[in-house]
Amino acid sequence: MATELDYDRSLHDKEHEAGPFEVTESQIQAFSRGIAETNPIYTDPAAAKAQGFRAIVAPPTFCTIMVRQVSLSDINLKFNGAPMGGGMHAGQRVQSRAPIMAGDALTASSHLKDVYAKTGRSGTMVFIVWETTFRNQDGTVVADVQESFVRRG
Amino acid sequence: MPYFEDVELGDEIGPLQTEATDYGVLEFCQVWDNRGPSRFTDQAMAEESRLPGPIVPGIMSMGIMARLLTDWAGTEALKDLDIVFRQPVPHHKPLTIAATVTDTRQEDGENLVECDILMTGAEGERYVGGKAIVVLPSKP
Repeated sequence: MATELDYDRSLHDKEHEAGPFEVTESQIQAFSRGIAETNPIYTDPAAAKAQGFRAIVAPPTFCTIMVRQVSLSDINLKFNGAPMGGGMHAGQRVQSRAPIMAGDALTASSHLKDVYAKTGRSGTMVFIVWETTFRNQDGTVVADVQESFVRRG
Repeated sequence: MPYFEDVELGDEIGPLQTEATDYGVLEFCQVWDNRGPSRFTDQAMAEESRLPGPIVPGIMSMGIMARLLTDWAGTEALKDLDIVFRQPVPHHKPLTIAATVTDTRQEDGENLVECDILMTGAEGERYVGGKAIVVLPSKP
């Protein structure tokens, strides 16, 4: 049976590089205010230094805001030969590897991780999963982030 | 901060009660350069997306959920948070975040606590759900 799902499979093997993204104190503080985070390690440089960090630390999902600034390729998705409509953000995964701090410069390396279809009562949904690895200015991996989007057939 | 030995399967973490305000969402969106009106900040644009009102960005909901676990286990304890957005999260509605321990194990010299985590609404809406892994210290 011919595959019903068609997309640019070469994107699995292509790393899309982006950045550097400068991490500033004010960004971390605004992110923390947005999620009502009050732990001073995320907001107060003196408190962060007292705990052994050189600057305020980013909350563990901070790099999700960087992912949204990475322009990912169109995978030219077709289902049964027809292009599929706009996608919704379906899920997100963050694996923290090392602390991110104010003053860091992060680079992002993204690739298409998975594309798969699920069929239920409401029809077929196709999930598109991108994976991005963030490294800091020393080349240390600080986080791996997966983002999934869903499109309906 | 809890010790690994004190945590048991089925233990509840939280709940954390909060809500997302218009101002909080606006400020959060500005951090990721989403400065113009959007379905996150503007009533008309939300309605264009067939939503009753502006919604909380998924990555902001994720940040709020992570807070439950860093409040409980410490700022560097959260190693993995994997969530699914089930329903749009509205502004100015009570949000409850809670987690349940589903596994405890030692792996590569680390004490891992795995849990299910859920963000719900006042009427029992299951907005966001997922799994998390936290690393805890051993008792001295």
